[in-house]
Amino acid sequence: MRLVDTRKLSQLQNNPKNIRNICIVAHVDHGKTTLADSLISSNGIISQRMSGKLRYMDSRPDEQERGITMKSSSIALYHAANEEEYLVNLIDSPGHIDFSSEVSTAVRLCDGAIVVVDVVEGVCPQTRLALKQAYSENIRAVLVLNKIDRLILEMQLTPLDAYVHLSQVLEQVNAVMGELFSTEVFENENTNIEKQKEHPPVQEDKDYYDWTSALEDADDSTLYFSPEQGNVVFASAIDGWGFTIHTFAKLFSAKLGIKEDLLRKVLWGDFYLNTKTKRVMKGAQEKAKKPLFVQVILDNLWSIYETIVSRNEKEKVSIMCEKLGIKLTARDLRHTDKRVQLQSLMMQWIPLSQTILNMVCEKLPSPKEIISDKVEKLMCSGIGDFEALHPEAQKLKKDFLDCDSSDDKPIIIFISKMFGVDKSVLPENKPKSLTEEEMATRREKARQLREQQKLNNTSVEPVPIVEQRKEDINENIDEKAEDNKELDDIEQPAFIAFARIFSGKVKRGDKVYVLGPKHDPSKVLSIKDLKIDFDNKLKDLNSDEHITYAEIKSLYILMGRDLESIDEAIAGNIVGIGGLEEHVLKTATLSNTIACPAFSELQYAAVPILRVAVEPTVPSQLSQLVKGLKLLNQSDSCVQVLLQETGEHVLVTAGEVHLERCLEDLKKQYAKIPISVSEPIVPFRETIVEPPKIDMANEEIDSQNIDSKKEEDPIITVYTNNKQSGIKIRAKPLPNEITALLDKSTDLLKAISQHIKKLQSISKKEELETKLEGLYLNGTKHKLSDRMLKLIQVFEDELQSICTKLGPEWKDFVGQIWSAGPRNCGSNLLLNHTTDYNTKFIHHDKEIKDDPRFEYEGSFVNGFQLATLAGPLCDEPMMGVAFCVEEWTLDKNEVDDSSQTFGPLSGQIMSAVKDGCRKAFQAQPQRIMAAMYSCDIVVDQKVLGKLYAALGRRGGRVIASDLQGGSASFRVRALLPVAESFKFALELRTHTSGLAAPQLLFSHWEVVDIDPFWRPRTEEEYLQWGEKWDGVNRAKAYVDSVRVRKGLATDKQLVQHAEKQRTLSKKK
Amino acid sequence: MSKIFTPTNQIRLTNVAIVRLKKSGKRFEIACYRNKVLSWRNKLEQDIDEVLQTHTVFSNVSKGQVAKKEDLVKIFGKDDSTEICKEILEKGELQVSDKERHSQIESLMKDIATTVADKCVNPETKRPYPVSIIEKAMKDVHFSVNVNKSAKQQALDVIQLLKKEIPLERAQMRVRILLTGKEARKTKDKVVKLAMSVEEETWDSGTANIICLIDPGNFRTLDEMIRTETKGSGQFELLNLKEMVEGEQTL
Repeated sequence: MRLVDTRKLSQLQNNPKNIRNICIVAHVDHGKTTLADSLISSNGIISQRMSGKLRYMDSRPDEQERGITMKSSSIALYHAANEEEYLVNLIDSPGHIDFSSEVSTAVRLCDGAIVVVDVVEGVCPQTRLALKQAYSENIRAVLVLNKIDRLILEMQLTPLDAYVHLSQVLEQVNAVMGELFSTEVFENENTNIEKQKEHPPVQEDKDYYDWTSALEDADDSTLYFSPEQGNVVFASAIDGWGFTIHTFAKLFSAKLGIKEDLLRKVLWGDFYLNTKTKRVMKGAQEKAKKPLFVQVILDNLWSIYETIVSRNEKEKVSIMCEKLGIKLTARDLRHTDKRVQLQSLMMQWIPLSQTILNMVCEKLPSPKEIISDKVEKLMCSGIGDFEALHPEAQKLKKDFLDCDSSDDKPIIIFISKMFGVDKSVLPENKPKSLTEEEMATRREKARQLREQQKLNNTSVEPVPIVEQRKEDINENIDEKAEDNKELDDIEQPAFIAFARIFSGKVKRGDKVYVLGPKHDPSKVLSIKDLKIDFDNKLKDLNSDEHITYAEIKSLYILMGRDLESIDEAIAGNIVGIGGLEEHVLKTATLSNTIACPAFSELQYAAVPILRVAVEPTVPSQLSQLVKGLKLLNQSDSCVQVLLQETGEHVLVTAGEVHLERCLEDLKKQYAKIPISVSEPIVPFRETIVEPPKIDMANEEIDSQNIDSKKEEDPIITVYTNNKQSGIKIRAKPLPNEITALLDKSTDLLKAISQHIKKLQSISKKEELETKLEGLYLNGTKHKLSDRMLKLIQVFEDELQSICTKLGPEWKDFVGQIWSAGPRNCGSNLLLNHTTDYNTKFIHHDKEIKDDPRFEYEGSFVNGFQLATLAGPLCDEPMMGVAFCVEEWTLDKNEVDDSSQTFGPLSGQIMSAVKDGCRKAFQAQPQRIMAAMYSCDIVVDQKVLGKLYAALGRRGGRVIASDLQGGSASFRVRALLPVAESFKFALELRTHTSGLAAPQLLFSHWEVVDIDPFWRPRTEEEYLQWGEKWDGVNRAKAYVDSVRVRKGLATDKQLVQHAEKQRTLSKKK
Repeated sequence: MSKIFTPTNQIRLTNVAIVRLKKSGKRFEIACYRNKVLSWRNKLEQDIDEVLQTHTVFSNVSKGQVAKKEDLVKIFGKDDSTEICKEILEKGELQVSDKERHSQIESLMKDIATTVADKCVNPETKRPYPVSIIEKAMKDVHFSVNVNKSAKQQALDVIQLLKKEIPLERAQMRVRILLTGKEARKTKDKVVKLAMSVEEETWDSGTANIICLIDPGNFRTLDEMIRTETKGSGQFELLNLKEMVEGEQTL
């Protein structure tokens, strides 16, 4: 039975001081949804008994089946504490790494977070991530140490050991917080120092340098979790109990004869009770006494668990209940499952939901108390500064802080995601249940009608009734027609915006601006008499317009699976907004002023890496698929949908579980057609390495005479088709340091190349004579911003320092860089080793003589770009390869007759360079690079061996495996090639009977150190493997799989061994 | 007492694929393994022993008649039977084995699908279809491959069939036509009739400059027409072989 109805909730909504917007974050399987369950059960939405089993917030069937949460969803709860009534908007978030984008969307809307930690497993990677996310969004957090029952029943710790264990876990969590805090402080320090440098003479008296680190000044007292502050709950969500130190302080102050305030301070920590003097003393550990926490709290808990669960002493239960002042129903007492008995006892004694909701209301801030830091962070995206914002936008900061809902305040709403629901779920489309009054009036009417009939019965024929029926039928027909019309609509899912109101008050029917995520107020405000077409939808917008105008068609309170329709909502609330499908793609800001900046972009931890091609099983249904993909893209913040040049539709997801969910959605909800999915498209990179010094049999190569043909010349000479131009190219591997640096500075390289293109287009337009002047002018006209120049300088310095370390071979490296590829920003370089042609990339200035070659430089570089985009092994991009151009000759004087037959010279040069690069690449030992997942698994030691076997089979490698403190489980960190990772989770689950669940996250590219074309060459190798080696070459297998997928030729034969074919003719 | 016939000096060949070569009126045969000859011809198989059952040259394999030595020397001009076998392998007519035929048909099918995907676009998106969808659609219209017809020819046939199954259109060519002289206007009308759509048309002192999209099938007729009508003064220039959207695109 619901205790609170919608009217009460919407009434509570109007008091932002008593609203708490919180989310639950944790590692996967640490009990978020179970905790949410018990909070929900306190409102009577689900039964107490079912809490923990029902997982109310997991409304999708696949969530229920798999037992993991896949989306964040919100529910509004009512709570009364300290004679105040609170509204708690609780958001449950998924813990699996694939759905970390959903966590980001949840955290963004909240003011506070409940961090749940499994005391047995301790701090896990997702916990770390969750804490980081909460910290970077400036959210206050409280800690729940969950699953304490496992300490008692599973690990069988003594209360004292458990206390030590608990304090260790707490320390772990605080260590993470401390780390986050100190990194931020140091970052701030750096920027502050820079700022001080910029305006040095502001404070004249500060002529001495302040050597104290900012860390010492910064206040971190509120940061940490400590039980005596009351922001730590000890709980077991599955058994429905939880407590803070304060709970027990209250319970025991009378018993121990110690004041509650004092007890709060000493209940956690190194204190013990001196029984003789009845005083609390410090130094329990030293004197080998039981700390107060153990004596007062844990001992009691342990004894309850032991009595009921371990020893199952029925008689004692009723005595215990009496002591605790709890009344158990006869049914509970008779229950055969002792766990149920325990649950009902504990739930009454120290109920989890009360404890947590009390703490939330007390410790976490209300929307009114939003911090100005957070506002600034929200308002400026990326690396922008708050001061750089338009002044009108800066004014809005005050409105954020006020969180006021008076009519004159601007409306500011942030939408963090869109989620699809069936139209039938919407309150408008639900069959309305009748209220009591309505029922009463109907009854009354019916009675009157009957009486009338009785009266009329004798005299008049019952015409009116028939007439009425007729009318009814007519109405029905009308309704049916309408239904049919609506049926089409209902087929399509409705999208509800998951939104938080930061300022102002919205009513249904309000009209607001919808500002896209790229909206920049300063740009728009600077345009005078800006016109916004009020009928525009998202699809009508040009690429540089980000504003539409929309009507808020409906407002909802989010109630987990259900939505409750409301008419208006004020600042500080989390609401659902309907009718914005055509205006919002994934995120947006709603406001009634266009000065409002777009909220900073959400930061995602998981990079989408898993690609699959999808196509309809029936080819003619392609259009439905496209429509479905568009809807999917809108509803999921982390998914990417691409239409490739080949016409394939590619779905990019964060991981396997995410992919499965997307496909499920696509099939069931959005496209509603059968879909066939390709094998995952795994990315590879191609690279070259230094020629190996030792062969596969671990013998030195130099000492043996290799009988293969003599070393190929590494310098490749290519000519254009008409022999006009000749190019000499050599390929060499780039050292790892340089590759890493190039990878890091992708954005910078892109910016530089864009700048160069601009320069080129200018120089093309002007005549040759003015070209020179024009380029000098470029110095001023098209100068890069100071920041860019500085970044380039830093990049150059770093490069230089790496090169000097590497030795004389790389001495002039920096000056030689001509271009980076592919797409002008990759980790391959074109180096200019020619003596007579000058070009510079980084300094982007060119000495233009009357060199005919200058004209063709663009196509030369393009040839290089094409070659690096698709390598010779399997058409995958190259990585970490340098192509040195040793010579480039161009004979301009030749008659142009011949060039006619081969097309324009620029095209020829391009293809010649591309060819040359590929050949030069092939002249070196080629290798394939595989994308690697870093894989984090917490596993019980019983199945550790099976885990290692599964990893080994898939070419994975274990980096570290530590015994988790105090438990029997290991934390294993391993690297696993992405190509081998499919169905890994499934295999692991089946082999370890569900005890290990991997968390995969893309980490880096790694060279597969096997020559794809390897065959025995040296004497030693012949000795070991013979002339023909027919084992499995992993690198070759990767290359072939990609080639088959792309439809390239492979050297696979129809029949491998001629003799081993089946003998068809039997007659002899 | 019946005699048991036990051939001791006979080698029985099983799973034979015969390659024949007629040269100077004589017939020569070699015995090869099934499914291996084509991969030898495609240079995929390097090991001759995996192809030949025996290095002997026969005049009739099934009867076990070995070719005469003097014939070999006279006709091939060498007496190294392995070399002669290699020549026969290269030039002779062969009996295509089951798996080979299978893969031949399959690759032809794939070839046709690739050609179709290459030539056609989805008119709604102006992008090509993936080969796999074309293949699926070909299966749906029950198209069967004819081994004796070229892939291109069959591709053109199948396009007509596929149009009933999925929205499909030939990718259009973009051409520029320059017309000068008195006849310009008249020719232009004819040209426009053949073109699918005219993108740009400018007149500059009696010279018409037309950029239009045409169906690739009309290319030759247009070329012919312009050459004859304008007597060589008109120009016909191909700008873009396929009119389609390029690059990856996010939905």
